Amino acid sequence: MREQQVKQLFDLVQQRYLWQFFSRSRDRIENINGIIAAANDMFRGVEPKRHLPMEKLFYADALEMVKDFKEAFPWIDTLEPTKIPELLEALKAELVDHTITKSLNHELNHSLY
Amino acid sequence: MPMVLLECDKAIPEREKHIYLKVEGEDSRDYLPISNAATIPGTLSERGCAFCGAKLVIGGVLKDTIQMIHGPIGCAYDTWHTKRYPTDNGHFNMKYVWSTDMKESHIVFGGEKRLKQSINEAFDEMPDVKRMFVYTTCPTALIGDDIKDVAKQVMQERPDVDIFTCECPGFSGVSQSKGHHVLNIGWINEKVGTLEPEITSEYTMNFIGDFNIQGDTQLLQTYWDKLGIQVIAHFTGNGAYDDLRCMHRAQLNVVNCARSSGYIANELKKQYGIPRLDIDSWGFSYMAEGIRKICSFFGIEDRGEALIAEETAKWKPQLDWYKERLEGKKMAIWTGGPRLWHWTKSVEDDLGIQVVAMSSKFGHQEDFEKVIARGQNGTYYIDDGNELEFFEIIDLVKPDVIFTGPRVGELVKKLHIPYVNGHGYHNGPYMGFEGFVNLARDTYNAVHNPLLKLAALDIRGEEAIKLLEAAE
Repeated sequence: MREQQVKQLFDLVQQRYLWQFFSRSRDRIENINGIIAAANDMFRGVEPKRHLPMEKLFYADALEMVKDFKEAFPWIDTLEPTKIPELLEALKAELVDHTITKSLNHELNHSLY
Repeated sequence: MPMVLLECDKAIPEREKHIYLKVEGEDSRDYLPISNAATIPGTLSERGCAFCGAKLVIGGVLKDTIQMIHGPIGCAYDTWHTKRYPTDNGHFNMKYVWSTDMKESHIVFGGEKRLKQSINEAFDEMPDVKRMFVYTTCPTALIGDDIKDVAKQVMQERPDVDIFTCECPGFSGVSQSKGHHVLNIGWINEKVGTLEPEITSEYTMNFIGDFNIQGDTQLLQTYWDKLGIQVIAHFTGNGAYDDLRCMHRAQLNVVNCARSSGYIANELKKQYGIPRLDIDSWGFSYMAEGIRKICSFFGIEDRGEALIAEETAKWKPQLDWYKERLEGKKMAIWTGGPRLWHWTKSVEDDLGIQVVAMSSKFGHQEDFEKVIARGQNGTYYIDDGNELEFFEIIDLVKPDVIFTGPRVGELVKKLHIPYVNGHGYHNGPYMGFEGFVNLARDTYNAVHNPLLKLAALDIRGEEAIKLLEAAE
């Protein structure tokens, strides 16, 4: 069940959001970490930090993602609160695997833009 | 066997690494077409040159800047007027073209004097214009003309002018993509931060990678005005030279075309700490999402929702009318790169259209990662496609309409398949809510145009006979 749930979230993220496909690995990991962390806060009912420019950016991206998750997958609201971080952590691992670790994109690790 | 060797490519089997057929259960970890690589000998590429990427795509869009092309006259003509990017000051950029018109003697004896003379002549003829881009081309780069030094001399002699030099000859990269790169990096390093903007709103952003094709920028500007967001610089649709020098003062960089302009957004983040937000400006669902994200960043969510509600009420009924009539139609997209991933899901979700083949002239692997993630199974994804491949792919997927440029468009018209100009548009703008209705209308008019079927008939005899084209 959990695998299926992660796959559903992952498929939606892959189809929908551009932040996972930035030019370099360092930007991709920064986005993935920041947005998943902000989403985690939102699911837990904690207001994500919005002081620094990058925090505002992660907030904006995470807000849409959480809304899309809730619309597309009503089961997410029925999960025990402790399960959400696990689920998002698994989603993060999938994203890192696909877009960074096993990506065939030869430009990902160039030091310059 | 998801990488595909087409029949027409049997003699150039290297092409197999550039054509992908997506099947269930695979993703871009398994297969990713080679891209942004040198064109393979034996294939007739549809690509442009690096100079074209700098001048035609980015620099030539500016509304207040002389575009001095240091090279033979053809380099100027062939990068002028083939894109439709109007401006709000009477389309200065589309009315004029400037060239040093290099001839054999200048190549032999050097062209720097001629360049200086041409720069002065252009400023003298247009005394109200004080800004200029100067580009090298293949021959002037090969003979080593120092355009930076010439520009420096002119700026010392004419302190009221400012000149940006772009040293990006056609041969400097594998496609126009190199020109995007050189211009982006040159501009951030030499011009950004040299002027301070007047700040008129507490919310400021740069809008990057939108070139005002048939008014895209001007349409989106109505949204930013309603939201109370100041766009410090448009890179470069309807853009002004001095505004682009002020990009360092924006709070947010909003990026549409990540391929042509992602570099400057990355550098603005690295050098000035300005976040980069990538959005899709084509399509109802995407445009609404982009507006929501921008407004969430600034904490003005209510304004965003009001704008989306207003635009949706106005345009959605028209979009739905077209959707009913386009549902299930098959589309091919053969453009530069980013429009593949911008459009494939938006036409699918908003118009019910299935995208069956996509070809990119200058996309990088990043673009293929995006489009393979968004595109359907059973769809072909092609890097640097050529005419014979297009013919074969058409036979395989049988599209009802093809979004591509006029040159390939004329080719497919011969096969009596309608095309819509995917670069300069038929009747744009295509961005935003109203724009996507325009795209839907042009698609509908193309798909349901009876003339293409009639054009395939010879009616001179007693019975109409199907015409055969030379290629058949």
